[in-house]
Amino acid sequence: MTDGSQDPTARDASPRREQLSRRGLFAAGAGGLAAGALAGVGGTLAAQALLPKDQGDAVDASRSYPFYGGGHQAGIRTEPQRHCVYMTFDVDAGSTAADLQSLLARWSAGIAQLMKGRPVGLVEPPRSGAVAQDTGEAADLGPNALTVTLGLGPGVFDHRFGLAAKRPRLLRPLPALPSDNLQDGLTGGDLSLQACAEDPQVAYHAVRDLARMGRGTVSTRWTVMGFGRASAGPDQATPRNLMGFKDGTRNIRSDDEFREFVWLGDDADWMSGGSYQVARKIQMDIEIWDADEIGDQQTVFGRSKSEGAPLTGTREFDTPDFRKTSHGEHVIAPNAHIALAAHENNGGVKILRRSYNYTDGINQYGQLDAGLLFIAYMNDPGHFVRLQTRLGSYDRLNEYISHIGSAVFAVPPAPEPGHFLAERLFS
Amino acid sequence: MQPSRRRLNAGLATAAALVGATLMLSGCAADSTGASKPSSSGASHVKITLTNDGSADTCALDHTSAPAGPITFTVDNKSATGITEVELQSDQRILGEKENLAPGLAPVSFTLTLGGGKYTVYCPGADKENVAFTVTGKAAAAKTGSVQTLLKQGSKDYAGYVDDQIAGMVQGVAALKSAIDSGDVAAAQKAYGQARPFYERIESDVDGFVLPGTKANDNAGNLDYLIDMRASNLDEKVGWHGFHAIERDLWQGGAITDDTKQLAAELQTNVGKLADLAKGLDYKPEDLANGAAGLLEEVQSEKIKGEEEAFSDIDLVDFAANVEGSQQAFEYLKPGLTKIDPALTKQISAQFDKVNALLDTYRDPSAIGGYTTYTPQLRASDASTLSRAVQALQDPLSRLAEKVATAQ
Repeated sequence: MTDGSQDPTARDASPRREQLSRRGLFAAGAGGLAAGALAGVGGTLAAQALLPKDQGDAVDASRSYPFYGGGHQAGIRTEPQRHCVYMTFDVDAGSTAADLQSLLARWSAGIAQLMKGRPVGLVEPPRSGAVAQDTGEAADLGPNALTVTLGLGPGVFDHRFGLAAKRPRLLRPLPALPSDNLQDGLTGGDLSLQACAEDPQVAYHAVRDLARMGRGTVSTRWTVMGFGRASAGPDQATPRNLMGFKDGTRNIRSDDEFREFVWLGDDADWMSGGSYQVARKIQMDIEIWDADEIGDQQTVFGRSKSEGAPLTGTREFDTPDFRKTSHGEHVIAPNAHIALAAHENNGGVKILRRSYNYTDGINQYGQLDAGLLFIAYMNDPGHFVRLQTRLGSYDRLNEYISHIGSAVFAVPPAPEPGHFLAERLFS
Repeated sequence: MQPSRRRLNAGLATAAALVGATLMLSGCAADSTGASKPSSSGASHVKITLTNDGSADTCALDHTSAPAGPITFTVDNKSATGITEVELQSDQRILGEKENLAPGLAPVSFTLTLGGGKYTVYCPGADKENVAFTVTGKAAAAKTGSVQTLLKQGSKDYAGYVDDQIAGMVQGVAALKSAIDSGDVAAAQKAYGQARPFYERIESDVDGFVLPGTKANDNAGNLDYLIDMRASNLDEKVGWHGFHAIERDLWQGGAITDDTKQLAAELQTNVGKLADLAKGLDYKPEDLANGAAGLLEEVQSEKIKGEEEAFSDIDLVDFAANVEGSQQAFEYLKPGLTKIDPALTKQISAQFDKVNALLDTYRDPSAIGGYTTYTPQLRASDASTLSRAVQALQDPLSRLAEKVATAQ
């Protein structure tokens, strides 16, 4: 739910050309500042090319992403699929480094299969006494753009497995943050799996069968099932969170931004090409929010609800002007969500958000139990800490939300064919 | 109650010796014909390489034959993500195997002493799953099969274990009856807790606990029904009998009535019938394997939820007894299993250790049955930890029956 990133009207537009031009259609239609900026950059592109690719909302069940190669794991820069199941695991007492190594190898092979839409073993073994290896419920569904992204928690590098020397430099448990309301059973974990797909059954099957594969070495810790993306990726129209507001308008998009804020560089040794993942389960007080007047809702976010424009502009991708005042007051309140999250107000810090909406049904008080599975990627978890320290302290949104779950993981780079995730940990 | 028994129909039809094919006698030399040669250690080496060729996973042997004698198979999964195991089979029987294969892991080996004959390397998930492998030379003598011998001996010994448990049950139920007859509720509750584990250790064998001449679905002749039925699944025609009807009186009612005494007397009679019946029961190795898994299903479906002992909340007593009975069945198979699949056997042993260590933390000598009362509060806080530990045991254990049924 943080909002710290991209400025579409930056003067040095060349690395962001693609992104600018994509947005151009909306901006040009509206005229104004952004249209002016656009004219010099993407004005010659055909209007057709400017449409977000998924505007027709079509899903291609046969779409698949490669698991091996490419340097980075899939599921980070991959344009967010519609559904996501997130689960963390603890390594069981008594499991050894060799057990962990075997699991990471078997998970890697399994993930490679699943991302191709194939089972992780026989669904119907020939011997009737055999137990099937794949549980079968995704057998005919296709890959559905499945990505499974693995994270290694700080616990992997404690005394248990002799891997302390390989600990990613910035991996440590997140500090207590303002407004944290974390619940036992919704925090931490030694390993995380983020399985996203266009079909929720494909995503769930992946996590289910990987959890099954891990039994005896790891145990499930906590999980969230996200049912609708709530962060925009490249080429996507900005989706909305359950508060009805567009989320991710200023998300990270360009190669330069990924290099600067998401990927770990060559100095990260075996983690080079990897990243850090922060996951937060953010519960929303839906009924209370729904009863709030529209003017206040927009003041809380600092944006209009339908268009998603900053209160200082008219179109979604207009750059917010945090200094603008009217009748002696800031138009975008300094404690509005976008003001606190903006990179301009956080020393330039940006993170990649890849969040999903979730619901857990009805809570013990008879209220709708729902919110945001906030997932973000960054090359320094300190960036999230910096943003959330401000948001947790001052955000007007805090009246309606509660951070109840939290975890941080190091996300290793993608393996090459014939290898497995985090293999270099064991060499 | 009645665990769901997974029946094996693994064809044991080919009881004939698995390596009976007649083959030409040849020297042990193998040469440019694709045969492996014995090394200086006397063992031939065959490399099984698993690769993905861009579209399909393949399973390839560097030698498709070897001379009779010790042969070492080394499996190297280079890039085949869809192949996780490789077996060497003869006539559908597994002679040796490697599991948990994945690209990036070091190659693994197994060594078998094979007589002349036709074999198959089975690579489930490969584009060609079965690769023929020939052993040249003298056919092995028709085997009585040391693994089979071990498994059969274990099954025979297990029958003795069942008899011992039933003997303990006879004593325990006698003590329960006399406590009830004396009208002492506290003493009866204690005796109830002491009698229960005997039944729970062997309740996987209930398929045999049926009086001769009883029709299927006639609960009047079903000793498991008469001894262990819970309130939730009553057969109106036959009514409620056995342990749990007594449990209700002792805990919910908190009083001993003439009905309670009648129930105790019936239970004693039925347990006596069970003792007679059990003497004639035989067990096959796969019964033990299925039973071991079935007892854990019992734990997961009933005890973990506190449904078995709804009035007394001594579910952890039954839980521990189910696990103990499961481990006993496993231990009787273990000498044979160790030969079939040492890695799986070790894994199961390790998981039993973990479950037992966890259960030990719930021991309470002052509690009825020796384990902490499984209150709704305890269930809410601890059930998931207990369930996860059992799950980690249940998964490998559920694969035993197939191993046992396909053993040579």
